[in-house]
Amino acid sequence: MQVIGEKINGTRKRVAQAIAERDAEFIQELAQKQTQAGAAWLDVNAGTMPRQEPEDLVWLIETIQAVVDTPLCLDSANPRALEKGIAVVNKTPMINSISGEPARLQNILPIVVAHGCPVIALALDDKGIPQQAEDRMVVIRELMSRTRGQGIEDHRVYIDPLAMTISTNIHSANITLETMRLVRREFPQAHLTLGLSNISFGLPARARINRTFMALAMQAGLDSAIIDPLDREMRAVIITTTTLLGRDRHCLNYTRAYRAGHLES
Amino acid sequence: MSNNQTLVDAIVDMREDDALQMVQSTLDAGTDPLAILDDCSEAMEIIGKRFEEGDCFVPELIMAGEVLNQITKMVKPKMTTTVKTKKLGKIVFGTVEGDIHDIAKDIVAFMLDINGFEVTDLGVDVPPAKFVDTVQKTGATIVGLSGFLTLAYEPMKETVNALKAAGLDNVKIMIGGGQIDEQIREYTGADAFGKDAMTAVSLAKQWVGVN
Repeated sequence: MQVIGEKINGTRKRVAQAIAERDAEFIQELAQKQTQAGAAWLDVNAGTMPRQEPEDLVWLIETIQAVVDTPLCLDSANPRALEKGIAVVNKTPMINSISGEPARLQNILPIVVAHGCPVIALALDDKGIPQQAEDRMVVIRELMSRTRGQGIEDHRVYIDPLAMTISTNIHSANITLETMRLVRREFPQAHLTLGLSNISFGLPARARINRTFMALAMQAGLDSAIIDPLDREMRAVIITTTTLLGRDRHCLNYTRAYRAGHLES
Repeated sequence: MSNNQTLVDAIVDMREDDALQMVQSTLDAGTDPLAILDDCSEAMEIIGKRFEEGDCFVPELIMAGEVLNQITKMVKPKMTTTVKTKKLGKIVFGTVEGDIHDIAKDIVAFMLDINGFEVTDLGVDVPPAKFVDTVQKTGATIVGLSGFLTLAYEPMKETVNALKAAGLDNVKIMIGGGQIDEQIREYTGADAFGKDAMTAVSLAKQWVGVN
């Protein structure tokens, strides 16, 4: 499970404040804590207005790189911000994201190709998010044909089948899980990632839903997720589920995690 | 007009079958259909308040909406005269072009509706021209623009400009969603921004001169 740490996101109030005040210490602490908690990537989203975003993103990247060498996941739809960001990264970053929307393909895909970046591909297009799994597959197939056409290997693509809240459609989780199973069958080399917490929007005790959904999603083939790596309970669910799914020889990872104290609540 | 507390309670507690049965027997007994609608709006007000207080959740709002729809369908044929309850004002609402987030928008539209406004909900990914068109057609005096993504700021600004360019200077525009603050309000040229559904309601009431 490749965890993409979600915490450095300017749409969160405290992070927005840190960006505005150039509070490097706050950002660096987020970067270090997420890295220590096992994040494979750190999502970086400036979340600011288009004209301000390139400068803010560059500041974030340089600030983070001063303390950790975890690869970054540049989260923006603004090609100018991405280009500026890529110019200052130490390691090839993941790009978050492309989708079936023509503007995204046109503006973002060339950047992905030019820099050989792994990329998150969202199962939506200009008509929105397809309701049914089979319709999401239509978008995903189109996206895969575009990335393949540009010479991007499947294993560089992190397909996000999208999780909508079960608040407004009780089958939302089922649709996401079904989409993942179809992706696994058709594109076995591609990764599956997910902005998982959407699933519980509008409900109380969201963490409980998110964690249980993680276990179900891993069974359906999820091998990456955009989450808070500091969520100990979530981490324990990931470790336990990995073991239950037979991906932990002699339960070694599980027993090690136990001894390290990761499984205590 | 005294309220039927058992009906109000049944709706508030989401006991669908009970509520519908009560409505049916009340109608059969010849009660004024308007009294039933009155109970409904009291129930919705309670549900809305609970939602604001974090004591009731999105799926329950949707459930309450479904129950309300069914009751309205049962009551309508029994209404002898079409009594149009007086609305406070007309509002055109939608998520701006390029953004497809709908939940927050739906909640605000719902709260405006139960607080007495006539809301035309244009859905998501709504182009500026559609807002202009609908305002002209409905004669709405208020527009609500929703957007969750930072990408939404530009289309918000374009929509505000389009409304102004169409000569709809008197239409009041509120924006909301995600990270919107005073700086973004200023950027987009909207009249006000709101952090939650109740702010939207009090802004709208203020603009039509109520309270």
